[in-house]
Amino acid sequence: MREKIAVLMGGRSLEREVSLASGKRVCEALEALGYYVLALDVTADLVATLRSERPAAAYIALHGKYGEDGTIQELLEFLGIPYTGPGVVASALTWDKSVAKHLFAENDIATPPWLTLTADAFKEMGAATAIDLMGEVVGGFPVAVKPSRQGSALGLAKCASEGELAEALLDALGYDTAAIVERWVDGTELAVSVLGDGDDLQVLPPVEIVPKSGLYDFSARYAEGETDFFVPARVSPEIATAAIELAERVHRVTDCRDVSRVDMIVDAEGVPWVLESNTSPGMTETSLLPMAAEAAGMSFQDVVSKVIRAALARA
Amino acid sequence: MGTARVVFDRWGDRYASRLAGVRSSAVRDLFAAASRPDMISFSGGMPEVSRVPAAAVAQAAHDAILHEGTTALQYGTSNGRPETRALIVELMAESGVRVSADDIIVTAGAQQGLDLLAKTFIDPGDVVICEGPTYVGALQAFSAYQPEIRCVPLDADGMRMDLLEEELKRLGPRGAKFIYTIPNFHNPGGVTMSAERRRRLLELSREYDIPVVEDDPYGRLRFEGGHIKSLRALDDEVIYLGTFSKIFAPGLRLGWLVAPRPILAKVLLVKQAADLCGSNFAQVTAERYFLGTRWRRVLQDLTRTYAERRDAMLAALDEHFPAEARWTRPEGGFFVWVELPPFVDTGALLAEAVEHGVTFVPGDGFFPDGRGKNCMRLAFCYADPSRIAEGVQRLAEVIEDRLELYRAFIAAGAIPAPEEGAA
Repeated sequence: MREKIAVLMGGRSLEREVSLASGKRVCEALEALGYYVLALDVTADLVATLRSERPAAAYIALHGKYGEDGTIQELLEFLGIPYTGPGVVASALTWDKSVAKHLFAENDIATPPWLTLTADAFKEMGAATAIDLMGEVVGGFPVAVKPSRQGSALGLAKCASEGELAEALLDALGYDTAAIVERWVDGTELAVSVLGDGDDLQVLPPVEIVPKSGLYDFSARYAEGETDFFVPARVSPEIATAAIELAERVHRVTDCRDVSRVDMIVDAEGVPWVLESNTSPGMTETSLLPMAAEAAGMSFQDVVSKVIRAALARA
Repeated sequence: MGTARVVFDRWGDRYASRLAGVRSSAVRDLFAAASRPDMISFSGGMPEVSRVPAAAVAQAAHDAILHEGTTALQYGTSNGRPETRALIVELMAESGVRVSADDIIVTAGAQQGLDLLAKTFIDPGDVVICEGPTYVGALQAFSAYQPEIRCVPLDADGMRMDLLEEELKRLGPRGAKFIYTIPNFHNPGGVTMSAERRRRLLELSREYDIPVVEDDPYGRLRFEGGHIKSLRALDDEVIYLGTFSKIFAPGLRLGWLVAPRPILAKVLLVKQAADLCGSNFAQVTAERYFLGTRWRRVLQDLTRTYAERRDAMLAALDEHFPAEARWTRPEGGFFVWVELPPFVDTGALLAEAVEHGVTFVPGDGFFPDGRGKNCMRLAFCYADPSRIAEGVQRLAEVIEDRLELYRAFIAAGAIPAPEEGAA
């Protein structure tokens, strides 16, 4: 009998449309692999549908809040349905960029200096009176300002000077209750995808990202032709090796499994800095992980097959 | 029970490229459709059709079939029944616009008129001028034909003529295909174009040789203040769109288009391709509904109802909305337009509002270029006054939470305080 796989997608996340695009490709791949596929939108009927359909496993093609923050993972644990990707703790802590950066720093993984400020720190404690200190604390301008928990770079801004900070913070705090101010590192932007875990861990070739606007924000990510990609990345073999080793360490330190994508920047001295790790990387036509897999000689179907088999093995 | 199953579109790569410009936001639609039992909706501009006497409509429909069945059930003429056009002539005369039945095409709502005009006039890349914000259905109708849409900002007196003139100077004579305006009780702006601006608009239209399209769905829903002459009443080169949706019922899908004869001839060609002819049944039913005077009392009652709801919304906004918010005070129509401080993203706010049991339409949908993110449209037409008060209060709580942060930034001197009285 063919195993039944529920592919979870959509939902009320701001990345809904991206997720539907990922989900569609995942469904096609699973069908081609011979699974019986149930494409499910995350709506109020989800739990009832999962209970009556009793899938052998769930493939999480959700992006953003609820899909990457541990919510859906916790729910699937409760329902006893094995699922793809990292577990509850790994999801929750990588979803929160601030927590993840603390973890990186504690494990000697280079991450640009940053500070995190909650909306309450501004509302209740007057944090806005210290805007003049913020640039200095992270090592000077320019800085990146972004919500601590949000995907697809929504609410991301680059500030060249102190005068631009307040508005960028307000904007970022429209997406989350905490915002990060992080030193801007100029250099080569790399996305390094990791598959598997434990002894069966495979790091895919780094993908180099060159957004035409200079900022890899939401529109650069999803509008066609706004970004150039190079795979393998145009970096020296030493840097490529360092990036691959770093991605593996991040995957292990955050206790990820099946799949993750580590975003980093290589500075002028050739040092890679980790910005964040993603536990449900995009699987669309223009997404980074499928691009990297292809460079490694793996088809999209191979990736999906590997990921779903790992989940089924946990049943 | 519902189902969570997703149905994919297998034809994603087969659609015409012109559809790429027609915007829709899946997330917004989802939030807009989100319902819980006590959800208060300020989203849809839906007429209160429950006030339209069902018995009178039933009688009209009954008579249409029984007495004029062979006509009502048959194809009709592309420009609409002469009797319906005669009715429209009378209705327009009451609003001070003199037209003849031959200047009119009956359409499937004013929305079809927008589509037909767009199809008639717009080649890809042509410039079309609108108000900013403007009616989202117009943006949809136009953008399917791939124009470059320029918006001219509104203030309390309607489209800013100084800014329109600047735009026209840049574009030059005949530099745009038309200027689209909703002069009365603007959707979504709620404002009405002053008589002076109307005259100026027509001067500019003549000077730059660019026709004006006047969309007037709400003109007869005036709660107070004096009637302002229609653009078409002042200049018979104006293309005018009217509708039965607000004076009768949108379910009949009846509207009309008035235009200079040569334009009308082209539009008629386009309409024949679109639908051969409109619904004769709907037209005969409307003709019969508008016999006698009952419809006038119904319309008065409807207008009074909308006025009460407008009052309820403005009172609730005055009471509950924060000082940083600005809103329009419509003298008629369906909508209030609210402007919040610049970095409040009403799209992000909508998720929270839905959780609090109230919906609205985020402002950026009313602009072709991503502006209006800090604005929202509130429709007061479809909820009872007590529900309106409750809904505004719920919404105010959601906004207040965002503004607390904003105020903390101002208090710290991190951002400048807004100018007093700025709209």
